[in-house]
Amino acid sequence: MDRMLYIATSGATQNLNAISVRANNLANVKTNGFKADLEQARSMQAFGEGLPTRVFAMTESPSQNFDGGALMTTGRDLDIAVEGNGWIAVQDKQGNEAYTRKGNLQISATGMLETSDGLMVMGDGGPIQLPVPVEKVQIGRDGTITVKPQGAPPEALEDIDRIKLVDPDGPEITKGSDGLFRRKDGELAEASANVTLVKGALETSNVNAIEEMTSMIGLQRQFEMQVKMMKTAEENDQHHNQIFRIV
Amino acid sequence: MHPALWISKTGLDAQQRDISVISNNLANASTVGFKKSRAVFEDLLYQNINQPGGRSSTDTELPNGLMLGAGTKVVATQKNFSQGNMLTTENPLDIMIQGHGFYEILQPDGTIAYTRNGQFTTNDTGQLVTSGAGFQLQPAITIPPDAQQVTVSQDGQVTVRLRGTADNVAVGQITVSNFINPAGLEPIGQNLFVETAVSGAPVQGTPGLEGLGTLVQGALETSNVNVTEELVNLIESQRVYEMNSKVISSVDQMLGTAIQQL
Repeated sequence: MDRMLYIATSGATQNLNAISVRANNLANVKTNGFKADLEQARSMQAFGEGLPTRVFAMTESPSQNFDGGALMTTGRDLDIAVEGNGWIAVQDKQGNEAYTRKGNLQISATGMLETSDGLMVMGDGGPIQLPVPVEKVQIGRDGTITVKPQGAPPEALEDIDRIKLVDPDGPEITKGSDGLFRRKDGELAEASANVTLVKGALETSNVNAIEEMTSMIGLQRQFEMQVKMMKTAEENDQHHNQIFRIV
Repeated sequence: MHPALWISKTGLDAQQRDISVISNNLANASTVGFKKSRAVFEDLLYQNINQPGGRSSTDTELPNGLMLGAGTKVVATQKNFSQGNMLTTENPLDIMIQGHGFYEILQPDGTIAYTRNGQFTTNDTGQLVTSGAGFQLQPAITIPPDAQQVTVSQDGQVTVRLRGTADNVAVGQITVSNFINPAGLEPIGQNLFVETAVSGAPVQGTPGLEGLGTLVQGALETSNVNVTEELVNLIESQRVYEMNSKVISSVDQMLGTAIQQL
């Protein structure tokens, strides 16, 4: 059998993987704080006996696009967005620290400050607890949380804690399988004083829908070319058979 | 079947949910005391196809892996309890809460529900009840049949002036309750909410004290739905829906090509 067929097959499979990455980005166009996954193809040469003529393709997602999404103002006190670079530290489901850009916070029944999916937000020394019941929560530009306990006079604002904001460099950080970000080396990131928050706003997904659609068209056509190659391989085989046929 | 189909299907599902939430908000744009919801999206788990750092040959490593996401999901509908606008009606039994708090309403099964809708009326025994289903306001307040005028003070004192007298007589005190996490209340329809494990226990108090809102007689709190915002969201959701369905049709064409050509 012609090896060309296998190379075309691997190309088609990898194109489908790449489309899955694009489809996931498009499915998350409205997920707040979502960072688009990048996708690229790498050539993987097959070594063996004879000339190394076969080069397979392999799709990989080298990183995420860390560009900021657009800010959407909501006016809600507990909606925060990170301005520019930086991340909000939260506690993941295993109890370890992870980072996110998703800022729609809420207060749990026990007074813990948590994200909309129930992950506790980290302060200077662990998860942040508010003295409930609170009448008003104020989150400052640097993450400082001031609350007005219910029934307290307006001047009795209490400083509670400060949301841990970190700013590791883009290449140091990567998305985990739960969609949260962590440092690649497993270390915790240092709190940074340079990260600023915007209150009453949320960061939208940074997926560029047009770009995703365009690359999907490209991938679709590429897939069709791979199929065409498979067809050609089949025709070549048929012609071989005809040559050897005894007339 | 190919994962891209399923991934896009989660996108379609989520947008459809979002449109349901938006349409419910729009449908309640003039419901007194209504609080708008919004759908909260989240990305689903990622599947590790190629582990970064895996061997590509005996002495080389793959610098990058391939992680395929499984799509998106609506994880929650978050209620926004911001204050609605004030609509003055001059009806003495329209009582609005200006600030935090909910009225306590006794349901027919004996449990308590909470509402921000201050449109009250009296039933056949003179008790203050909700206008829709006629559920009793708690603590019960009875307006005597010969009352000429009902006055509700900012702190919830209800006084009436009886026929033939000049003095006002106190007939009861309206209280309001607040929650640690009002967004955790469960909406059950009829403008009512019930307590859940995540909302926290109700803290009852006198209006105007301890951070609770004050009462305004002769006014109603309009729905806090911003119609323009909802329409913008609707456009966005519709387009995202179309893009996800475009992915499905593209993958379909690709598979069609493969089937026809081979």
